[in-house]
Amino acid sequence: MEEERGKVRTLIEKATNSTEPEVDPRLLKAIKSVVRYSDSELRLAAQTLMDLMKRDHSQVRYLTLLIIDELFMRSKLFRTLLVENMDQFLSLSVGFRRNLPLPSPQAVASILRSKAIEFLEKWNASFGVHYRQIRLGFDYLKTTLRYQFPNLQANAARVQQERQEREMKTKEILLNKFEMLRQNFSLIKEEIQSTIDEILECLDIIRVKEENMLLDPIDDEDFEEFHSSELRQIRLDSLKEGEKVHENNDNKVVFDALRELYKLLETKHLVSVQEWISVLIRVEVPDNRVRDSMLKEFIDIRNRLQAVKKKCEESGCALVNNAKHHKEDELEEDFWEDGKIGSSVNGSSSAPSKHNNNLTVASTSGEVTDKAPKGCSGKFHGNESLGHDKGKNDSTALRSKLLAEAPVIEWGSFSDDSSVKRDVLINQRGMEFENHWGRVDYDAVIPAEKIAELNLKATLYKEEQVEIQPCRAPLRKGGLCQRRDLEVCPFHGPIIPRDNEGNLINQNSSIDETPKNENSPMDESFLDLKSDLGEQLVKQAMKNVQERNKEEARKRKIDKQLLNRAKLAKVREHNEAVLRDAALASTSRSEAIGEEAEYTNGKRSSTRNKKQTLASMLRKKVTAKDRLAQRLLNTRSRDSTTRQLTMGEDESYREAFPNQW
Amino acid sequence: MWKEIGGREAGQIRPNSFANRVKSHRVSTLQLSNNKDIISPHKGSINSLQVDLTEGRYLISSASDASVAVYDVQRATDYEGAGLIGKHKSVFVVDKQHGHGHKFAISSAMWYPIDTGLFITGSYDHYVKVWDTNSTQVVMNFKMPGKVYRTAMSSLATSHMLIAAGTEDVQVRLCDIASGAFAHTLSGHRDGIMAVEWSSSSEWVLVTGGCDGAIRFWDIRRAGCFRVLDQSQSQLGRRPPLLRRSAMSKVSTSKSLSVGQNLSGKPRAPQRKSNGNGVKQAPIGRIPGKGSVRQRLHPGMLSSQDRATAHYGAVTGLKVTEDGMYLLSAGSDSRIRLWDVESGCNTLVNFETVRLQTSKAIQLATTQDPAVVFVPCMTTVKAFDVCSGKTCLTFRGHYECVNCCWFSSQEQELYTGGNDRQILVWSPSRFTADEMVDHFNSIAVYFTYNIIFHPHVLKDVKPIIINQHLSSLNGMDMQDAGPTQDQDNWSD
Repeated sequence: MEEERGKVRTLIEKATNSTEPEVDPRLLKAIKSVVRYSDSELRLAAQTLMDLMKRDHSQVRYLTLLIIDELFMRSKLFRTLLVENMDQFLSLSVGFRRNLPLPSPQAVASILRSKAIEFLEKWNASFGVHYRQIRLGFDYLKTTLRYQFPNLQANAARVQQERQEREMKTKEILLNKFEMLRQNFSLIKEEIQSTIDEILECLDIIRVKEENMLLDPIDDEDFEEFHSSELRQIRLDSLKEGEKVHENNDNKVVFDALRELYKLLETKHLVSVQEWISVLIRVEVPDNRVRDSMLKEFIDIRNRLQAVKKKCEESGCALVNNAKHHKEDELEEDFWEDGKIGSSVNGSSSAPSKHNNNLTVASTSGEVTDKAPKGCSGKFHGNESLGHDKGKNDSTALRSKLLAEAPVIEWGSFSDDSSVKRDVLINQRGMEFENHWGRVDYDAVIPAEKIAELNLKATLYKEEQVEIQPCRAPLRKGGLCQRRDLEVCPFHGPIIPRDNEGNLINQNSSIDETPKNENSPMDESFLDLKSDLGEQLVKQAMKNVQERNKEEARKRKIDKQLLNRAKLAKVREHNEAVLRDAALASTSRSEAIGEEAEYTNGKRSSTRNKKQTLASMLRKKVTAKDRLAQRLLNTRSRDSTTRQLTMGEDESYREAFPNQW
Repeated sequence: MWKEIGGREAGQIRPNSFANRVKSHRVSTLQLSNNKDIISPHKGSINSLQVDLTEGRYLISSASDASVAVYDVQRATDYEGAGLIGKHKSVFVVDKQHGHGHKFAISSAMWYPIDTGLFITGSYDHYVKVWDTNSTQVVMNFKMPGKVYRTAMSSLATSHMLIAAGTEDVQVRLCDIASGAFAHTLSGHRDGIMAVEWSSSSEWVLVTGGCDGAIRFWDIRRAGCFRVLDQSQSQLGRRPPLLRRSAMSKVSTSKSLSVGQNLSGKPRAPQRKSNGNGVKQAPIGRIPGKGSVRQRLHPGMLSSQDRATAHYGAVTGLKVTEDGMYLLSAGSDSRIRLWDVESGCNTLVNFETVRLQTSKAIQLATTQDPAVVFVPCMTTVKAFDVCSGKTCLTFRGHYECVNCCWFSSQEQELYTGGNDRQILVWSPSRFTADEMVDHFNSIAVYFTYNIIFHPHVLKDVKPIIINQHLSSLNGMDMQDAGPTQDQDNWSD
């Protein structure tokens, strides 16, 4: 019995003597199983746990609290035992008494407090009716001390309710979609069928042409190219090998149409069919037969679409030509993307009807408008080969012309004008958003004006690049000054245009030179000559002055250099003196530093080796800052004596040159 | 329990002792009641509690927010938790909104001892007010010279209707409800008076305890106080019962005579302790001596005796036991002293208190036959055995200091009120075992109640009937306890 008695105590002590944020589940299980079958053990456990709660360490208290909660939720006897000392327990776990704050690892203490409050709320909810003490403690903390309880139960209920509401809403939406689908089912089918038909026709045309080409190349326009039989043979081989249809001017239209159709198939029909299938799978309707039949049909359609797609790919039109007409495709892709965004934003419920509109009226997206006539032309092309091609060329010419004229605008959200007109639900992208900033409002709407506002084209001011001319003044050591300043070079004054050797291309001189040549004829007047002379004199004077200035500047520079040199010498001298002093004093100091380094290293390694214990949690962590401060303090105190000796000399120097040592 | 009932039926146990046994058992099992919640409307600390002396049904409480509330403790106003918890809401509240209410904290509220038609409140706003319960209007106003700490009325009085009021002032004033004026002004204390208590054996004797640490006895028919309790004047233990004492005195007369003469002149405690047999000497050596002192000193007592103190610091609470033989006093020196009223001596019973509240007056409660005193000790209330001073029970439930407690001897329930604004009910644990169902409990309670208080009802009821009840009730659904089961649940 004594052994048994010790058992739960040792188990609990073992479980609480850890730095983990959780109780070891195996130990917890052991405690529970021991306590479950013996009341005396349970009493002992309660006693031990209360003792541990008094321990002056938040981590111990925290783990104890976790064990207490486990037992409290399970055993009635434990509840009655704990409830007797409820106020003490609360003051130890919540720390609401000012003279009994929670003990030291502060981080754990705050966790302990929040956990204790949470547990109290839980206990009050489940057992408050049976224990007045729990109710009292809860009331006291809530109404008198005004602690914030997490309100877990209410929150959970609210979340549950919200989820239910959301599910109801999605169900409703699905049902609506289903209704819509049932109405539009035939239309959708027709549409897809027509696309498939068109594609098949196009493929037929290509194949026929190919055969024509192979059988009688004489009536082909590029007959001369394949004149020799060898060449023809090679070509035949290559064609056979690749089974690929060569695109040329002749069948370009067909290929274009095919490409368009392929794209339509891939990005629209397949996607929408997939969507419809998922809708049908998710929707719950009273009569399953309609749904099942529709689902079956959709699956058939999908399979057919995939087959057609495969055929297209096999014929090689889509992929190869995509690569070839990269530029054009990109353009188209952009347009297409826009259309897609619009449709997906509007929700797939409106997609089919809109699509129908597109086909018939060709209203919004440029891609569709492009495609419809092309499809027609593709069909026509089988009969009349060249005539329409010309028209097409005309249209492309017009287009390129317009394109050349049009200003280039970077692509941005403003260029998408299909979704401008209506409000947009922002949180209905089909994904579950869990926002850690708070609850997600599933009905949030961005109004149309706001979208228009957001899509407004923003223009950035771009500064025009001005090339700044180099100074190009001749330097003493040869070469030209390469400084680039806007107006004034700090060394050579205002920037004046100069020639390659750095001479001034004086406005005056240039003016001078030309008039000289002009004025060389004898009919120049005396006045002119006089003025010319004057001007020359002035120039000479200026030159003189400049030269003098230059001389002076050079002199000043040399002086400055000398001064600098002297200063540097002085500094060096001083530094050397200080170093010498340091070297004299360094014998003892360096020893001390070495020792200290060793000491700290040893300490660190020892702490690292030691297992993390509860006591280590209590110990104040030695941060790098602390270490530095300690080191500084040590060296400072040691230095103070030596420093005092050199103080007098130093100080005067420092006053003179505060930034040098 | 059943054995005792059997004994009672056979006539082996006298009705009185049977009742006392049941009561003492019930008192020893007092614990926080889960099925009686008093919803306190107070927004300040509860300063006093009293259950009316006539019906034992209405509890009056006063609080620091100048409010007084009355509750029906027998009938709950509504239930919670499937009838498990009875909520007792206040019958009425008088607070600052009342036109003639008190302005500041009400330090004491008590029922008129004869019926519940009147109640009396004393407040820090210097007023003592008498209220009509039914109309909740002020009937009478007494203006005091300072804050009123405590008021008291004698439950024995047949010839006077005096409210004794202890105030900040050094004088105790007796307010006469009949005339509406101060009947007496008793002066003698050197500081404010924190505790006032009427004797439960004589309607003329008033006991007051002051902040100067003195406890004074007043006979209101005469001028001045006739006794000042001195903590150094002590006798060891309780006075032995009358019969035994006379027998003992015969044995020890020869010894005590010589010592007694010395003692009568100069009563000094240490000396007597060193004598070792003070218990036997005290009664004999004392009584003649005191008689002479009283005659000589009263009204103007010897100044040395007049300066005696009962506590170091203030006397914060007084309670006379129901038999009127002993006086319990609590002081700000965290001591509780038991005084022999007859001899005026400190009985030197050591009560194991930890700490007492020092700043406020506290209200003690006693039970009669197992002599137990309930003392508010900071956040807990402790029950001490009066004779030995041993702690019998500790009531933990309040989260802040407890100011007052009241024991209802009729239902053996303890009411406590504290700074945390709660009024807690401590009732005997439900009979012997937890597994008894409520219905059975109520029946059993009914039977025991009748057995205790109306034995004639059960004159011809045989225990067999109870057994039948038991057997019929055993088949009942025991699990119907409440919304959530309070059971072991070890499922993981």
